[in-house]
Amino acid sequence: MTDEKNTHFGYQKVPVEEKAGRVRAVFDSVASRYDLMNDLMSLGIHRLWKRQTVELAGVRRGQRVLDLAAGTGDLSERFAGIVGKGGEVVVTDINAAMLARGRARLVDVGVAGNVHFAQVDAEALPFSASHFDCVSIGFGLRNVTHKQHALEEMFRVLRPGGRALVLEFSHPESLPLRKAYDLYSFSALPLLGRLVAGDADSYRYLAESIRMHPNQETLRGMMEQAGFERCDFFNLSGGIVAIHRGYRL
Amino acid sequence: MSEGGSIPDAILATLETLVNRYLSLDPEGAARLGDLQGRVIMIELAGFGTRVFVIPGADGLQLFGDYAGEPDCALCGTPLALARMGVSGQKEDQLFSGEVRIAGDTHLAQAFGNFLGGLDVDWEEQLSRLLGDAAAHQIGVQVRGVERWGRRTSDILTQDIQEYLQEEARLLPGRYETQAFLDDVDRLRDDVERLAARVTRLANALGEGQTDRETPAPESDAQRIDMHRATCRDRAGE
Repeated sequence: MTDEKNTHFGYQKVPVEEKAGRVRAVFDSVASRYDLMNDLMSLGIHRLWKRQTVELAGVRRGQRVLDLAAGTGDLSERFAGIVGKGGEVVVTDINAAMLARGRARLVDVGVAGNVHFAQVDAEALPFSASHFDCVSIGFGLRNVTHKQHALEEMFRVLRPGGRALVLEFSHPESLPLRKAYDLYSFSALPLLGRLVAGDADSYRYLAESIRMHPNQETLRGMMEQAGFERCDFFNLSGGIVAIHRGYRL
Repeated sequence: MSEGGSIPDAILATLETLVNRYLSLDPEGAARLGDLQGRVIMIELAGFGTRVFVIPGADGLQLFGDYAGEPDCALCGTPLALARMGVSGQKEDQLFSGEVRIAGDTHLAQAFGNFLGGLDVDWEEQLSRLLGDAAAHQIGVQVRGVERWGRRTSDILTQDIQEYLQEEARLLPGRYETQAFLDDVDRLRDDVERLAARVTRLANALGEGQTDRETPAPESDAQRIDMHRATCRDRAGE
């Protein structure tokens, strides 16, 4: 995926040290309309994908959850409900603008007390080893420069028995769906981006970065390489999105 | 999750949205959720085998199709019985009639039921946000008037129909007639049961008499006397 000096930024090659900055620029640009755009782009189905992720996480009351790339906190909100007052959800994002949006939104819906916020780079987690019962990253791994590092870090902070959930765009299984999906994401998506968020380039990047993201089997291999066991994945909406799950045993 | 019996996520999500929208119409009622926050209530729909896990939050409910841990309490019943329990003021009726089964923390179940039953949406207030106070109040007065008229009319109508059927058309019996008839039925039933018991006893006695002849001799005098007495009693009864 990544050679020594360059990495992907959508279909472009950019120097490794530049990717984080460019991703930040994308999300700074879309932060204010992020939820609306998600609803429009996925026709609201992203909420179902996130629900499914939380159900697959099998989190219980009193557990500690780390939500990486939490964005506006959709996963965190549900996790916070399940873990209850005795539990803890750490809501993180590398992007300050997104994190601020997420924090404001969670406070607005009355989620407080058992949630903490931290601006965190998924490749270098500032948490001690074996600390969390569950680590989730929803639509975030794609934007991380060194995905393997991020997976290894997720593995490190998990307690034995803990599990990692990776919710990410993936590769549709059937050819017709793939064609339709390509058409949609390279013509409709940038148009939507321009009309609603006033930024076609950022949404073109989203579409491109999805294509560059490893497919289901490759990502499972990467998780196994990071040390996860019993790795499996669940294709949603025909493989447009996949949830990968791995346990630290 | 593709486990058998769980409700599809889309339906659950829609349901959750609807429930929470309804809760938001009664903010005072929803505030009582605070005590239940973070508890896990499992609702099982009997006959469908579907389970929903309800976790109350600060001002809304979260619905899950699956929960990895043990729920705090479980309510099991047919959808109708559960709905009746949620709505009716007397939840005990549903409990004692066995329509709804509760396992685990019954206090929590009761509190949850009270919460649902205690919701009272002030429609006039909601309407006033759209139309303004004056118009909403006018509509409210009208609606309440119609409601009162409807209730009174239906009461009177019921009474009139009852009177017509019982007193004028004589199609249905009156209350006292019914009571007398029911008493008669009870007496007849008891009589039949007594008769049946007696026939059984006679049949037994007859059977014993036959075995008496076949067996050479009872084991003791006391037994023979008992048997004789029983036979005499039966004959006297005849």
